[in-house]
Amino acid sequence: MNDLKGIPIAVADDTAGLTLSGNAVPILHEIQSLLCDLVTSGKSASIDLRSLPLFPGDYERLKEVLGQGEVSATIDAMGPTRVRETAVHGVWWVTHYNNDETSIAEYIEVTYMPEILRTHPADARVGLDMLHSRLTPATETDIGDGDV
Amino acid sequence: MNELQFLTWVRGPGLNIAIGVFILGVLWRLIEIYTLGRKQDLAAPRRRPGASGFHTVWRRSLAPPGMLKRSPVSYIGGYIFHVGLAIVVFLFAPHIKLVDSLLGLSWPGLPSQLIDAVSVVTLAAMVVVLVDRINKPVKRFLSTFEDYFTWALTFLPVLTGYLAVKHLLLPYTTMLALHILSVELLLIAIPFTKLFHGITVFASRWYNGDVNGRKGVAV
Amino acid sequence: MSDDKTLAETLARRGVSRRTFLKFCASMATLMAMPPAMAAQMAEKLAKVKRQSVIWLSFQECTGCTESITRSHSPTLESLIFDAVSLDYHHTLQAASGMAAEAAREHAMKDNYGKYLLVVDGSVPTKDGGVYSTIAGISNYDMLVETAKGAAAIISVGTCAAYGGIPKANPNPTGAVAVSDIIKDKPIINVPGCPPIPVVMTGVIAHVLTLGTIPDLDELGRPKVFFGDTIHDRCYRRPFYDQGKFAKSFDDEGARNGWCLFELGCKGPVTYNACATTKWNGGVSFPIESGHGCLGCSEPNFWDAGSFYTALSMPADPVKYTAAAALAGAAVGVAMSFASRAKKADAKAAHQTATVADLRK
Repeated sequence: MNDLKGIPIAVADDTAGLTLSGNAVPILHEIQSLLCDLVTSGKSASIDLRSLPLFPGDYERLKEVLGQGEVSATIDAMGPTRVRETAVHGVWWVTHYNNDETSIAEYIEVTYMPEILRTHPADARVGLDMLHSRLTPATETDIGDGDV
Repeated sequence: MNELQFLTWVRGPGLNIAIGVFILGVLWRLIEIYTLGRKQDLAAPRRRPGASGFHTVWRRSLAPPGMLKRSPVSYIGGYIFHVGLAIVVFLFAPHIKLVDSLLGLSWPGLPSQLIDAVSVVTLAAMVVVLVDRINKPVKRFLSTFEDYFTWALTFLPVLTGYLAVKHLLLPYTTMLALHILSVELLLIAIPFTKLFHGITVFASRWYNGDVNGRKGVAV
Repeated sequence: MSDDKTLAETLARRGVSRRTFLKFCASMATLMAMPPAMAAQMAEKLAKVKRQSVIWLSFQECTGCTESITRSHSPTLESLIFDAVSLDYHHTLQAASGMAAEAAREHAMKDNYGKYLLVVDGSVPTKDGGVYSTIAGISNYDMLVETAKGAAAIISVGTCAAYGGIPKANPNPTGAVAVSDIIKDKPIINVPGCPPIPVVMTGVIAHVLTLGTIPDLDELGRPKVFFGDTIHDRCYRRPFYDQGKFAKSFDDEGARNGWCLFELGCKGPVTYNACATTKWNGGVSFPIESGHGCLGCSEPNFWDAGSFYTALSMPADPVKYTAAAALAGAAVGVAMSFASRAKKADAKAAHQTATVADLRK
């Protein structure tokens, strides 16, 4: 395997010349149209940022226009999911990461509250049961050693 | 048979058959023609300047005086598509690679986009030449099935090759297989049709020039 | 065995929250190019699903497909899928062995008749009564036919199950055939590749589980969402192909500059798979990016399609018969020349001189 060591490695600058694909502007217009729907009829929607080819410059452009809002949340679900509201109220930026901090999905959600932040009614019922069992002291039917 | 099997066949058995028939046919016809020989010319040769085999090869490469004006399509169209064919066949990288694998010879090629442009020009020139053949009454009168058949056999490889590289019309695997198949059909037809002129043209011209040169006539 | 708890309940017991679930449905939707709204739908549906029984039959295979599907990157959909299904039978992954394992399979088939998912990897030998691959004394052929009867759908994982693969390659001593050559009356999804990309396998299974339908298939039975484009169509080295910049040998100047590997035998143009977009090892790289041409491993009969290192424009194997053809041609040519000379001699002999008197007759 000496041959492998003899192969020189040089890291190429692969971002040179590839900054903007031009897809940022259509996305921004789509966000505007979805936000309009939200405001008039309360309909939520999301845009999958992986569905279009986007270069680093496009992300910069999107962040530039949308800005940073007041809300920032991290969800611990087998890897972090970062949820930020942008400066444009109603437009949320959701990035899912796995345990290796690799981004596995990225969405822009136009909504009053992203689905993943909201507590599901079924989970709330489970939560009620959980709290109940935590507040109720151990009953006589528990087998204990008498030492309370 | 699915598309990959079709491609593998034309790259394998199909190619073997086509090359085999081509070599067989070429050797057969070359030997058949050149062993015929001619009666020995016992007269003393009358050498004149400008009258020899090589002169004739050169002269026959040009249009005879006045003919260019009378039938420009034949000469201009003819030259364009012949030169185009040579460029596309011999200066396109995958073709050079093919010759390399068969004969061990290799040479530099041209950029692929240039070959694309030349292919389009070649196809256009061939269509123009065909239309002229059909439109000009004398040409049409003289044309037989073999003329149209050999035109098609020459046109199809260029067309299918272009479509394959550009990924047009049919999925690439099928298009490439059709391209190779069309070349194989062309190879089989070359020794047994007028396409054999590709191999005999310069020898024929030289011979005509030499025979008449001995008699002191520049043809 | 499959129990009556829904998937959500099962996952909750393992500490996988609903949010985690939603997150992974979102990543699945992204991967399969589904509209974002599907993610929430998928999550709702999948959560309510009772554990789907899956029987995995391994036939004449190398276990590469199982190895591939279990290469999960700390919890990803692969492991979730394995939580989502009740994997009732799998040689490599099951705890039981011997008769107990076979009993488990039969039990699962009976309990879930008409509803279980059958996943097959490996080809099925048919020569000599199928004796070349047997499990518990039952030939692969018989086991496939019997197990397929109660299956809702069949997923043929890997090129061996989908098209016959390496056992089927010339000269195919075991008479290996694909699953679809034997079973004709059940929906079959082919997920070829040698092996297939892990997330492609789980994506297909996820689709079937959540939507209960077969994804759109091409003429070779492959899901178009993963097998709709060729490697060549999505290859990042395509600009070099278009410009005619080819690497001539491994590790030469062109190769180091990342030029197209067409001349080194890359079968990208004729291969349909997701390698160029989804890539391998969690999106790290794929063969061409690592400097080696595509082998065409998701296509039928790719093992017999000529050397991996001869370009598509070159003959698949060395050309044969040239010497024989030359000899034959020369022989015919010489024979023809004799015939021509004889004809000429005859013509000369038959030549009659004419005089003016003859012409006046």
